[in-house]
Amino acid sequence: MSESLRFVSDDLQLMALSFMAIVYIFRIRWLLKFKASRERQAPSGGTGTSSFKGIVYSWANIAMPWSMESTRRMSFFYLQFVVFHLAVAANIGMSFVIPYAPGLMKPMIIVRLLQILFAAACAIGCYRMYRRLSNPAIRLISTPDDFFSLALLTGWSFASIFAAMNRPDLGEGPLMVYFIMTAFFLVYVPFSKISHYLYYPFTRFYFGRTMGHRGVYPVKRVTQPKPTHI
Amino acid sequence: MAQNARSHKASKVVERMGKKLNRQMVGSLVGCVHCGMCAESCHYVLANPDDPTYAPAYKADQIRKIFKRNFDWTGKIFPWWVHAQDVRTDEDLEKLKDIVFGKCTNCRRCSLNCPMGVDFATLNRMARGLLVSVGVMPEGVAVVSKDQWEVGNQMGVLPQDYLETLEWLSDELENEFKDTAARIPIDKMDADVVYAINPREVKYDPRTISDAARIFYIAGENWTMPSEGWDMTNFGLFSGDDELGGVVAQRVYEKVIELRGKRLVLSECGHGYRSTRCEGPNWSGNGVPPFVIESSVLTMLRYIKEGRIRVDKEKNKAAVTFHDSCNNARSCGFYEEPRELLNLLVTDFREMYPNRAENFCCTGGGGAMSMSEYTPQRLKSAIIKADQLKATGVKVVVTSCHNCVDGLTDVIRHYKLGMKVTQLVNLTANALVIPERVVVPVEVQIPFVTLPLQGFKILVVDDEPDILTFLAAVLEDQGATVIQAADGEQALALTIQEKPDLMTLDLSMPGKNGGYVFEEIRNNPEIASTKVCIITGKPELRRLIYERPVAPPEGYLDKPVNEDTLLTSIRMILELKHPHGHA
Repeated sequence: MSESLRFVSDDLQLMALSFMAIVYIFRIRWLLKFKASRERQAPSGGTGTSSFKGIVYSWANIAMPWSMESTRRMSFFYLQFVVFHLAVAANIGMSFVIPYAPGLMKPMIIVRLLQILFAAACAIGCYRMYRRLSNPAIRLISTPDDFFSLALLTGWSFASIFAAMNRPDLGEGPLMVYFIMTAFFLVYVPFSKISHYLYYPFTRFYFGRTMGHRGVYPVKRVTQPKPTHI
Repeated sequence: MAQNARSHKASKVVERMGKKLNRQMVGSLVGCVHCGMCAESCHYVLANPDDPTYAPAYKADQIRKIFKRNFDWTGKIFPWWVHAQDVRTDEDLEKLKDIVFGKCTNCRRCSLNCPMGVDFATLNRMARGLLVSVGVMPEGVAVVSKDQWEVGNQMGVLPQDYLETLEWLSDELENEFKDTAARIPIDKMDADVVYAINPREVKYDPRTISDAARIFYIAGENWTMPSEGWDMTNFGLFSGDDELGGVVAQRVYEKVIELRGKRLVLSECGHGYRSTRCEGPNWSGNGVPPFVIESSVLTMLRYIKEGRIRVDKEKNKAAVTFHDSCNNARSCGFYEEPRELLNLLVTDFREMYPNRAENFCCTGGGGAMSMSEYTPQRLKSAIIKADQLKATGVKVVVTSCHNCVDGLTDVIRHYKLGMKVTQLVNLTANALVIPERVVVPVEVQIPFVTLPLQGFKILVVDDEPDILTFLAAVLEDQGATVIQAADGEQALALTIQEKPDLMTLDLSMPGKNGGYVFEEIRNNPEIASTKVCIITGKPELRRLIYERPVAPPEGYLDKPVNEDTLLTSIRMILELKHPHGHA
């Protein structure tokens, strides 16, 4: 491994991570500066509901595609979401494994599974880009940041397909590209919509607390035929 | 620089936004990933697939861009990168007004369908409040808010009118049960139940008050209605004005405390229930009031379970469906109790799909019924509700919300669904098994010596012959002398010539329309005192009547009007306390 590759896979990553952490600390401090509103009224709704249950349900909501009409109806979109986010998580994990525990990626089956996952994420990213451009409603709400973030993650997934081999002996190019992209990703994320995962626990916590206190969460559903009007 | 370039109102909006933001709102403002999952949960989007500006995320972005430009670092530094944009002119505020008031009913369906937990309805309400604070709002919102601030209720019902209506209803109740105790107690101290209502009941639907009174009487309840603080609705919820919301809720709470009431029972009104039961303590900031607050649905259910009233579901044999009010179901988790009660009251209850917290808005929510400038887009979006109603295959829709009654009635009329809307209180009253100690109703016991409207001359004005015939037949059956006019000119001439005691007046007519005729009558001293009951199929014209610089009409009915409603209204206007003579 060359000194350049060692630098980008180790020092550069640590610098980028530190930068991201610092920005996130500021970001969370900023968010916490806003006062949290309270639910002062007596709890309402059924006996099986409470603020606590609402919060747990709300946090777990994303893993329960049956809990929302939107995810029930757009099941293919939900599947894309799962695969894409799993790939991003695996990709982040890989950026630590390659420099610090490369032995974990020795078995070829792991490499192939990762490559399939990254390829799927890349394909989903391309499809999402097409959707963002072709659907008038989505295009209208899309900002340059939305397009760039999606392109960045798609490109990163593409680079990961080649980096997953972790064979600097065959040429350091793929790994260099991958780690430079990762570092850029870490620096850019706090300023982009990709940092939605930072807000997710907060938005879901407060929404769940309100809905749980009011007896709306967990949502009660009765089996129903598919609406014909949609 | 940016601040200097803003209009005064825009500056105030930005300044107040900073004060109004809380952590939940900021989370919703920064958490959206523009995935578009919310879009198809909105009835406006579903009914307008070619107009992307109805998408909840787009509507939220109109608020979000102001937030980003002024409060969020990326938007401050790279506004173009995240579509951050300041609000500068009064025209910008007007555009925002058309979105937050005209393209959303705050039904919260999108909030429930957002994977990120972005609560757009809360953002929308905040934006409404900001605009209202600088006087940018639909005219109807201004009028209703003013009434609630100044008169104490959102329909401007004067204390005298309220008390006279209760008096009149008490007389009827007493007469029905032949019991002097069968009256509506006003300001009774230490009552177990203090009953608060929607002013719409006083103005357009007194039957719901008398039905509730009948239930309380038969249940042997120690109850009362307050002389003040009786309006449990709260336009602060719709206008986003937390101050109004707090004051209105506090008015109700304080009256119950003054009367040392043990339980505040709210008549069936979704936004009233949410405002008084759920949001009021938040807005007023005084915590949970020292008494129980519950919906009358729960009260009626308890009476049945405790055996205080008995109901016979065979009296309600028509197949019914139930429409969940957004405020009840999606913001207060109140959806099982109405079903439990309904199953005790009717023989054939069929669910509407989707239902409970996933139900679609009646399309009249969020104060939409008072914003006539948005009526066409509201009714267009109502196709979703119309299809949902139609799919149930029933002819009776039950709901536990007065606003939904009006919203659904509009949908049913517009899409010619031929359905009827009713409430649980009406079904309960109808299913009541009258115990033997109560004397059977007056119509069986006391034969009419004279007909109720005998001696009254009534002019009916409508350009539709069928309606004219219907109105004339109903009123003549009750003994009235009826004169008919098919247009405005004829109506004016006959009013001067015949000097009727009362006229029913259609608004939309060829030639001189009803509004013109009404103003002419009020401006002519010779006939200015003629009692007028507007009967119109265009509720959006209501404000055109009430905003005229003349005394308002004595009554107002929406078409289609049925016999009971017509006669109740006519008798109220003519101040007939008993069904068989003058007051």
